Amino acid sequence: MKNFIQPVFQRYWNPYVVLLIAGILSALYFGLTSTVWAVTGEFTRLGGDILKLFGVDISGWEYYDMVHLKGTTWSRPDGWIVWGMFIGALMMVLLSNNFKIRLPQQKRRYVQGLVGGIIAGFGARLALGCNLAAFFTGVPQFSFHSWIFIVATGVGTFFGAKLTKMRWWKGKPTLTRGTAKPSKVKKRIIQPYVGVVIAIVYLGLTIYFFVTGQKLLGLGALFGLAFGILIERGQICFTSAFRDLFLVGRSVMAKAIIIGMAVSSVITVIIISVYDLTPITQIAALSTFVGGVLFGLGIVMASGCETGMMYRLMEGQVLFLPVFAGNIIGATFLAYAWDHLGIYDVLVKSGTKINLMDSFGPVGAILATLAMLGVLYALTVYREKRYHRQLAMKRGVNQHAS
Amino acid sequence: MQANKEADFTLDLRGESCPYPVIYTLEALEGMNKGELLQVITDCPGSFRNVPEEAIAHGYTFAQDPIKNGQEYLFYINA
Repeated sequence: MKNFIQPVFQRYWNPYVVLLIAGILSALYFGLTSTVWAVTGEFTRLGGDILKLFGVDISGWEYYDMVHLKGTTWSRPDGWIVWGMFIGALMMVLLSNNFKIRLPQQKRRYVQGLVGGIIAGFGARLALGCNLAAFFTGVPQFSFHSWIFIVATGVGTFFGAKLTKMRWWKGKPTLTRGTAKPSKVKKRIIQPYVGVVIAIVYLGLTIYFFVTGQKLLGLGALFGLAFGILIERGQICFTSAFRDLFLVGRSVMAKAIIIGMAVSSVITVIIISVYDLTPITQIAALSTFVGGVLFGLGIVMASGCETGMMYRLMEGQVLFLPVFAGNIIGATFLAYAWDHLGIYDVLVKSGTKINLMDSFGPVGAILATLAMLGVLYALTVYREKRYHRQLAMKRGVNQHAS
Repeated sequence: MQANKEADFTLDLRGESCPYPVIYTLEALEGMNKGELLQVITDCPGSFRNVPEEAIAHGYTFAQDPIKNGQEYLFYINA
């Protein structure tokens, strides 16, 4: 038993393996439901639910018609993807005895989290998807808007990384002389037991969905749970994929995401061809680029995107409460601004839905996608190498001077 | 692996989220003299992996194996 517990719960999983599984599962989820793994659409609907709760009449808002605001979050498969992710992550955190209320020492982080969360939530919905629907699950749908979004996110995170490095933004850490004492460790371990209870209750609920014929809710709950487990165990952070490349020349996450997307694309093209499904295409317009840049900037400011925020919150990182609130506020504000402030007319109207499957056929689409991912991979390796070359040169100069 | 030598400096990062543990650790190491020992206390789960990996990628060495202390980790890095 110990041989099993050790690697599964005590250690984090290899991000390559995790994203490979996530890529395969998201292709399967599409095959089973004709929808994709996504979260921010549901965040927007949650914002709508909250507005309705406060008596705001949103019946005329076009954006809510577009994202199909119906029922409650408990009766929407997309809702169960979100709650399943939260619960899957929480389950794994508890089973590995890793929950702890973590309060940032730098109080400025709360403001940064809220502001960054709002910008990221607004940007993601403007572009019609976050790092999932416009990225990890958007590329395998051959929706061209995700290509624009990736480039734009790269631009946004570049400026975000610059901001992160500024003294007034990052703050000063507490560096003290000598050895300090670590925290006292509690002897009694109860977290794993709570984790097991949550797992049993949740699986019961999932079975209930299937038994009562609510197949889509059951699938949402099940896949949501799997995605939550995966992102927590792999510490899958899309924010860091770009940001850390610029900050410290770290490339693991970017490479793993690219490989996950490549595998997911291949499986998806097969599923689409065999079962004759229609891929999900979003409008590619100026809004995609502007939204992507805002999203990239916002996620670095907030230290986490709409996906990474979820498992971090479950680990007890209090910073991500204002980030979550910000994401919903930003997404809801976009839903308002869409028609009320003329965003649709200025940024979206001129765009069109472009799908590579329609333009080039299945073979052309998958080849183009793999080529694009290959270029991304090469750029990532180039950036990492360049960072370390510059670092070595800086070191050499310093040693020479001293 | 050296026996537990007294650390010259301690960087207490408890509560800080990524990427700040990595940034702070690399900056602290850069400001220290060669041969000095830095103790890092961190509880951001992302940092359990990226702090040691980036310290090594930036040319620093570990004085001893990382210590898991409940929900946090202790690192001992040679500047």
